Amino acid sequence: MIHRPIPGWLYYLLGIAGVMVVACVYAALSTRQTHINPDQSVMPGFSALGEGVVEIFKSRGNERNPRPSWISNDASATYWRLALGLASGVALSVVVGVSMGAYTAAEAFFNPLITFFAKIPPTAMLAVYMVVFGMALKMYVAMVAFGVFFTMAQAIYQSVRKDVSTDLIDKAYTLGASEIEVLYEVVWRQVLPRVIENLRLQIGPAMVFLIAAEWAFADQGFGYTLRQQSKLLNMNVVYLYLAILGLTGLGFDWALMRLRRWLCPWFGE
Amino acid sequence: MQTSDDALRIENLSHWYGDFRVLNQINLRITPGQIVALVGPSGCGKSTLLKAILGTHPANEGRILVDGNQVRTPSRNVGIVYQHYSLFDFLTAEANVAFGLKLDESSLAFRMLMIPQWLKMRAKHIERARAFLDSVKLGAACGKYPAELSGGMRQRVAIAQALILKPKLVLLDEPFGALDEATRESLQMMLLGFYQENLKAKQEGRTPEYTILIVTHELNEAIYVANRVVGLSRFHDAGEQGAMIVYDRPCPIFLPDEPKDVESFVQQREELRKAVFDPSYVKHHSKYVSFWEQLSELAASS
Repeated sequence: MIHRPIPGWLYYLLGIAGVMVVACVYAALSTRQTHINPDQSVMPGFSALGEGVVEIFKSRGNERNPRPSWISNDASATYWRLALGLASGVALSVVVGVSMGAYTAAEAFFNPLITFFAKIPPTAMLAVYMVVFGMALKMYVAMVAFGVFFTMAQAIYQSVRKDVSTDLIDKAYTLGASEIEVLYEVVWRQVLPRVIENLRLQIGPAMVFLIAAEWAFADQGFGYTLRQQSKLLNMNVVYLYLAILGLTGLGFDWALMRLRRWLCPWFGE
Repeated sequence: MQTSDDALRIENLSHWYGDFRVLNQINLRITPGQIVALVGPSGCGKSTLLKAILGTHPANEGRILVDGNQVRTPSRNVGIVYQHYSLFDFLTAEANVAFGLKLDESSLAFRMLMIPQWLKMRAKHIERARAFLDSVKLGAACGKYPAELSGGMRQRVAIAQALILKPKLVLLDEPFGALDEATRESLQMMLLGFYQENLKAKQEGRTPEYTILIVTHELNEAIYVANRVVGLSRFHDAGEQGAMIVYDRPCPIFLPDEPKDVESFVQQREELRKAVFDPSYVKHHSKYVSFWEQLSELAASS
């Protein structure tokens, strides 16, 4: 029945069942593939995946010259780029989005630019970022930041226009607010849950942009290792990296949801 | 008749949109403690007048003084309560009421840099807000967000939010229009309670705290909650020049615990309907404008 609720236990049971179905289908296909070709690595079995776990967590180098494991090396590079990129992108989009929503002059100035650049796929801009920011950290940060900026700025601008009525702003003035207080105490606090919700939606695209950039240019990071291991058909490592990326996205999503519930309990679900 | 202690003084106010003149030579004085109902046909310019008093849309001609200061922008001298509540969704009922205290008594820099002092001040603000909410029978809803409150409760919070700062004038823009009859009546009682407090303050030689201009479509409500009714209309002998004040008379005073005796003001309601809402009744605009004369007569006779 459409929109009819189901018991909580059934809801969770169906969630587990979904995961189990995918795992079983994978196991069956892997077994069949191994039966056809015992040396295949396209669909590694669970034991091969276990070997992949050891491989990615194993310290590299030797006793005299120890080097970090793949996962530690890649995770520190990718997460740092992602964090810096998201922080810059969100900060920029909040400033521009709120300005556009609050001031008609800012709206007139930014709207054509943002509408235009939002239509260009961020991955197509990779060459531009490379030319402007070079091949180091700044390029990846710019890729993520500008990748999320245009969409988020538009969403925040719309939210300021829709969620903050002129009556509410006038009321704040009648309660003694200055202009900066209206922006911070009224506009920002009203749109904050929308900012967090939009950031949740942008985590996936941000990771796509970053992995694409790392795939093309990096010498460390998830994208780099995925490219190297894909070339060697080490799919046990590739699948594990994909799982880690998926879990990263889920972790970010969960953390942002908790943050939104904590900061904006009034927003509801 | 003009004194410097008027809560509101409107002088020769006119406003027009393009060639269409909406308001023409509006003159109005409201003294502290008065609860004035503003009525008029739809489109007569009530909202334009209210926005001009609030300071969001200054009029083309004339001037408005609140507590002797000319109104140019919205300020804490004039509070506003809208029909659709306009509470801050992200604040609880008590924080909504305390919001004005926070803005009035501290700066953003103080709140960000002097956190321990600010928290102490904040606790006092919340205490005052709770006490005010208690007085309007909303003590139990202090910690709830607007989305968790009924329409009547939200409107009580909105009124408390506007009144706690003790502005010189509070504008109520059809505040009970979206409420059911029972809730509307309980809020009308609340306004009568404020008027009673004003009377008490006058008797004790204090300046009354609540000066209210309420816009309503409901004539019974206008006569019931206010001690003075003002009618704005284009239906007068110079109507093509724009709306003017065509009715300004005192009305009977009720107490919150008195039964609502509708029959006692039927005559005034019919007079109001004829003077303000009847397009076929042509008269000089000042025919029913006699509040101050009647008040003087009353003072002389007593």
